[in-house]
Amino acid sequence: MAALEVRGLRKQFGGVVALNGIDLDIDTDRVVGIVGPNGSGKTTLFNVVSGVHPATGGTVFWQGQDITNIGAHRIARKRLVRTFQQAMSFPGLTVDENVRIAWEQGRRGGGRWTSPGMILDFVGLAPLGRTIAGSLPFGSLRRLGLAVALGVSPELLLLDEPGAGLNDSEAQAFASVIAQLPPQGIGVCLIDHDMDMMSDLCDRLVVLDFGTKIAEGPPSQVLADPKVREVYLGPDKKAAAP
Amino acid sequence: MPMTDNSAGKTGATPEGVRARDRLALLTADNAAVPLPAGVQAITAILLAVLLIALPWLGLGYRFLSIAITTLYTAIGLYGLGLQFGQAGIMSVGHAALMGVGAYASAILSVQLGLGFWTSLPFAMALSAIVGGVIGLPTLRVGGQHYIIITFCFCALFVIVLTNGGTFTGSATGLDVGSVTPLPGINFDKLSNNYYLVLAALFLALAATYLIGISRYGRTLRAIRENEQLARSVGINVDLHKLGVLMVSGLFAGLAGVLQLYYLRHISPTLFGAFPSLYLALMVMLGGARYLYGPLIGAVVVNFLPEVLNLDPVDSRIAYGVCLLLVILLLPGGVGAGIKNICCAIRGGSETQVGGSNGRA
Repeated sequence: MAALEVRGLRKQFGGVVALNGIDLDIDTDRVVGIVGPNGSGKTTLFNVVSGVHPATGGTVFWQGQDITNIGAHRIARKRLVRTFQQAMSFPGLTVDENVRIAWEQGRRGGGRWTSPGMILDFVGLAPLGRTIAGSLPFGSLRRLGLAVALGVSPELLLLDEPGAGLNDSEAQAFASVIAQLPPQGIGVCLIDHDMDMMSDLCDRLVVLDFGTKIAEGPPSQVLADPKVREVYLGPDKKAAAP
Repeated sequence: MPMTDNSAGKTGATPEGVRARDRLALLTADNAAVPLPAGVQAITAILLAVLLIALPWLGLGYRFLSIAITTLYTAIGLYGLGLQFGQAGIMSVGHAALMGVGAYASAILSVQLGLGFWTSLPFAMALSAIVGGVIGLPTLRVGGQHYIIITFCFCALFVIVLTNGGTFTGSATGLDVGSVTPLPGINFDKLSNNYYLVLAALFLALAATYLIGISRYGRTLRAIRENEQLARSVGINVDLHKLGVLMVSGLFAGLAGVLQLYYLRHISPTLFGAFPSLYLALMVMLGGARYLYGPLIGAVVVNFLPEVLNLDPVDSRIAYGVCLLLVILLLPGGVGAGIKNICCAIRGGSETQVGGSNGRA
């Protein structure tokens, strides 16, 4: 039994069907990537699983418990934590305080970090502790977003486009931090558009299109799938993946 | 492998340009998040306490002491407002009504049941807290300006209810109470003793505000103020904490209301209507809601300004308006922010990190 089990998940916004019966199993010992064209429902999937939006139908099980629509803060307390596409922080507070807030929440029932400083060291933000988060450069803000999520002591981390807006070297550094998480018992499920990074980083890829899962498996196999190539590249083009 | 910071050093400004900009930023920045050193905090607290305790002995006269009492009980109410607005980010322009709930609860208990100051105080504070929470229910659905309008409506409704309450609320004339039940050896009919009673309550409010500010609870409230969605996603029960802080704010308001009642000995609905509520909002913004001494500074400025400048009520309203505009334009964090920024600038900018990507602690 996988840690996170999504069964027939549906989400409708008015007449728009964003998720049309998604089934997904995610374990906490590996990196799972979710890819798909814009509007295919990737972020909506995260939003519904993490409780930001209520589900229209279907169920989400986390460690055997039904967590569908129980509220975002309760899901986070069960150590299923997500980050946001727009780099999010508590902008008016210092970097230290940002991480401390998350750490204090994660400490309930025993967290993995003995101090917020450990988290800052881990993501490489320790020298910026007294900086106001809102004045951080974008690359550091992305790392702060990760630090805040890690502060809650997650067992599974849902990362929504963690590499968006980063330059190549920043994205590489970010990927190397993400790769360190599963061996420490923090599962990662991430959305990104950078196919090279995704095929290096992920053990498994899930492809969404129009709210349904069209392919799933090891990256090499998925990227060779004609259905996936059609969704991504259009029926006629033979060029490499973006 | 920890990541290295590649983004620093991207700014192409000259060192002089950076320094001038940083110095400017230091004076106008919102420094509420950066703590002052413990020594500075302790000296400020001691000086302020000594000044406030010595005030009745400075021979400033009956009128001065009366205004001082008004200032202090107003400040207690403002500390509640400072907590909900400064820490949790929920503004209210109906706060005088919440003070009114406390004051009227205490007055009605006195008139109907003969309860004195001390015995009615806990009931009045509890009722204010409950009413604060109930008016707060809409914050779970709407935020910002929408909630502000709701608080304003509550305020108007409260006055209408009081005015039409017959003998129970004293209608438009209001209610009278006796003096504060004396403690052994202390008669609160003496103005300086009444002053010390209100001052003791102010110290309690200050201490509570300080302790909340440095505690995990304070951080939780600030997280909600800064980013509600992120606060939820790290496991904070945002709805519960929003109602909670409004109830705590109601406790402060109830205390202030009862102190106001027993200082004035007579209350009427107009004391708790729209104008007094707007003045409270003005004071808290003027002083700086996020700063420990901000609400007190706001109360002192607004209560003493007409006295010091010898203004009549109409002129003083114009003066308040001009003050508020100046503060909003020049010191968005209030006078408290200005004073703290000057402190930080004197101590040199190296400790505080504001603006710019050259943040090295």
